[in-house]
Amino acid sequence: MILLFTKKHTQFFIRREMELNKLIELKDLTKNFDDQQVLKGINLDIYENEFLTLLGPSGCGKTTTLRIIAGFEDPSGGQVLFNGIEISKIPPYRREVNTVFQKYALFPHLNVAENIAFGLKLKKMEPIIIKSKVERMLKMVGLEGFEKRDVTLLSGGQQQRVAIARALVNEPKVLLLDEPLGALDARIRKQMQFELKKIQREVGITFIYVTHDQEEALSMSDTVVVMNNGEIQQIGKPTDIYNEPENRFVASFIGESNIIEGIMIKDYLVEFDGFQFPCVDKGFEDNEKIEVVLRPEDLDIVEPEEAKIQGIVRNITFKGVHYEILIETQFRTYKIQTTDYAEVGRKVGLKFGPEDIHVMYPMGAY
Amino acid sequence: MKKKKSIFARFYVALCLVFFYLPILVTIIFSFNSSKSLTRFSGFSLRWYQELLTNTEISKAVYVSVTIAILATVISTALGTITAIGLSRSRKVIRELLMEVNNIPILNPDIVTAIGMMLLFSSIGLVKGYFTMLLAHIAFCTPYVITSVYPKVRNLDPNLANAAMDLGATPFQALWKVIVPMIKDGIFAGALLAFTMSFDDFVISYFVSGNGVKNISIIVYNMTKRINPTINALSALVILVIVVILILAQVWPKLKKSRLNRIPPRMRSFIAGAMVMLVIVALYQWGAVAKGERVLKVYNAGEYMDLSLLEDFQDEYHCTVIYETFESNEMMYTKLSAGESYDILIPSDYMIERLIKEDYLQYLDWDMIQNKGNLLENVLDHSYDPGNRYSCPYFWGTVGILYDKTVVDEEDLKQGWDLLINPKYKGNLYMYDSERDSFMIALKALGYSMNTTDPDEIQAAYEWLVNQRNIMEPIYAGDDVIDNMVSGNKAIAVVYSGDAAYIMSENPNLEYLTPSQGTNIWYDAMVIMRECSEQKLAHEFIDFMLREENAAANTLEVGYTSPVTAAYEEMVEGDYAEISAYIPDDSNPRSEIFRYQDPKVKALYAELWTKIKAEQS
Repeated sequence: MILLFTKKHTQFFIRREMELNKLIELKDLTKNFDDQQVLKGINLDIYENEFLTLLGPSGCGKTTTLRIIAGFEDPSGGQVLFNGIEISKIPPYRREVNTVFQKYALFPHLNVAENIAFGLKLKKMEPIIIKSKVERMLKMVGLEGFEKRDVTLLSGGQQQRVAIARALVNEPKVLLLDEPLGALDARIRKQMQFELKKIQREVGITFIYVTHDQEEALSMSDTVVVMNNGEIQQIGKPTDIYNEPENRFVASFIGESNIIEGIMIKDYLVEFDGFQFPCVDKGFEDNEKIEVVLRPEDLDIVEPEEAKIQGIVRNITFKGVHYEILIETQFRTYKIQTTDYAEVGRKVGLKFGPEDIHVMYPMGAY
Repeated sequence: MKKKKSIFARFYVALCLVFFYLPILVTIIFSFNSSKSLTRFSGFSLRWYQELLTNTEISKAVYVSVTIAILATVISTALGTITAIGLSRSRKVIRELLMEVNNIPILNPDIVTAIGMMLLFSSIGLVKGYFTMLLAHIAFCTPYVITSVYPKVRNLDPNLANAAMDLGATPFQALWKVIVPMIKDGIFAGALLAFTMSFDDFVISYFVSGNGVKNISIIVYNMTKRINPTINALSALVILVIVVILILAQVWPKLKKSRLNRIPPRMRSFIAGAMVMLVIVALYQWGAVAKGERVLKVYNAGEYMDLSLLEDFQDEYHCTVIYETFESNEMMYTKLSAGESYDILIPSDYMIERLIKEDYLQYLDWDMIQNKGNLLENVLDHSYDPGNRYSCPYFWGTVGILYDKTVVDEEDLKQGWDLLINPKYKGNLYMYDSERDSFMIALKALGYSMNTTDPDEIQAAYEWLVNQRNIMEPIYAGDDVIDNMVSGNKAIAVVYSGDAAYIMSENPNLEYLTPSQGTNIWYDAMVIMRECSEQKLAHEFIDFMLREENAAANTLEVGYTSPVTAAYEEMVEGDYAEISAYIPDDSNPRSEIFRYQDPKVKALYAELWTKIKAEQS
């Protein structure tokens, strides 16, 4: 229990530096479908002007969380506060949020301009105002002159832009994006990531972004929330999530890792693979069982005598920027990413510094 | 090679077109016929269109058909669409179960649905009429709408409704602005299906309607006895409407594109207004019938009354007459046994005997019928109702042979019924497709009683009929005989004297023979049902029909022989002087009246008659 408190405290500490107002608070949110519990008590604060990503494998509850915020699902328990006011009973059409759907959900019977104007027309705005707002949106998403186009004939990327414009034109406080880039091919996805981030900066509102793509999450977000099995695993800045994964799930889901069971001898000293290594981690109990994460790109190949851990090169693959090398040691096979070449069969040493060692709690410890 | 193929293909297409459109073309052409025939064109005239416009029964029926079809379409389309959308969001088990259940009414034969609904409405005490017909139509149209809308809904992105609500649409707006436009093809197809199903439904409408509410199908069905080109005129107008709708359907999208934003809201409110008007007027119509001070329900055979008499009666006695018609005595009996009640029925002799036996009727109070003295002496006091305690004759006549004087030798007429097995006229005669009438002929030809229950005599009659079939190759026809004989298509036909009189008035080559071996003398008579609540009015109606001038108008219009002396004599001496069939020969002691038939004998007749017809080569 003390441990749990510490963790929460840390998160709070990390995010307090934004110095911004809380916009949405999820308190002990649960959701059951039939007998299955898909959300097991989600606690999450979302701030103004924040780009927050819910990241996790399919079925982890990230989309359900988003749909509860949008109002498409009722929570089974817990609260959703918007500016401090409980909104779980408010229907979606009265919430100040808008959504960009997974497959865009554009209205095929309406053209581009009509799709974007849909929400404004419902608000009975003057046609002239609608027209100018639609034009402004089209300009922002780079689709000027597309007003009369048939949405079903647009490319995936163009449809995506229309979906974003359709949502943003209503000037919501929060934009919800449910795997919006999932249906796009890799090149356009990269470009859209960049543009989404740009748009978010321009309009200056909160984006809540759902994805299973860790690279997308890390490159766009202010805050990443890693979820698994209906629970939040870690909340933090992308760099913290990557560099300081709190458990094996986060470590393995975010990037590639070598994960090794070990023992925390005392603060700043960890033991694994039969050796003791100095490290930068503290706050664990002495001799506590832990797991150590070594990112492949943090490992270097040296002459055998220069390192404690030694092994034999079993495989080497050229990946463009670097080589990926598999090294078989006494206890396990390590994965290494390096620009150095090492021929298969050669005996090598594995070198890493204290700051490359990330100590975390083993899976299921809490 | 290629050219040859295309000629063949064109020929094939042409053949299809001819097959599809020739009947329609014929219908339209004969709607302009100047005479009553449906098969012989004698000149151009708009007479039947005029008749159509002045015939209040038909225009009422058109009104009923159209309003019921529109209302049933709108309501069932709305219901079916909402159901389909709801179904697409239910659990799989419920969804599949409901789709199966939905198929049952579609696969169910109409007659089963019809009787089920009739019994349901009777048992919950709903007054049969416009409202019950509308309910039934909504019920049988909705499954078709569900079937055509559901697949469209299933193919929708489930997030579309969410997207609309996300953008601020209420659930209803999401439905109306997003879901409905996207499934409108399915809705339109469903609505079209519903409209056609409703518009041409006969079976269900016939059983669930009552109180004189009739749609076009019921009118046409009851008209078959004396089908006339009014129906062609009506059909032609319906075809015209369809063509106009089809053209509009082609042109409308183009019109819509050019003035997208202006017309729809106004059109929409106009259509909505028209719909509301329709409902109000329809309900008013329906209510008006129930509201009249005194109501008399009359149930008669189709095309068996001069309908202007009904209007005269209503004016004179300040009441409402609900006039319904049946196609056969048996059909009438089915309705009565299902609990339907009327004030006055006009069935045939043997059926009256049965109704008396089964206690459906009440005594007539002859003191209330002042015109009873107008009746012919010889139409009273017959075996079906001795002393006429229950019934007052309406029309009467015989069954005989109608023959073409220019074809049939006078010498052969002495053969009487055996003329029908004279090989000289092989393939040149119509028999009446009715087991009882056919057995009557055979039994009479053999010198037996037509009411016999002796199996040997019945067997002999059966053999006579089989023999006739083999020798003569007759055509077993229904009421189409009338038109065919008017056109002179065959030389000999077995017909009722009243029909014969009409046919002879149209075709002077024909003559009527009452065979010497005796025949069926029949009486159709007015009776009052036990449940009748308007005793006085019912008796006034009977009295009204016995008035000399009314009886004369009626017999002139229908062509059957009047039991009222003055009317009878007027016809015999006037319009029908040359027409022997109008004078039924009831002098022959060997002629008889049909008696109520024991069900076992009836079943035997039916079985043998089926055999006779089935083995016809």
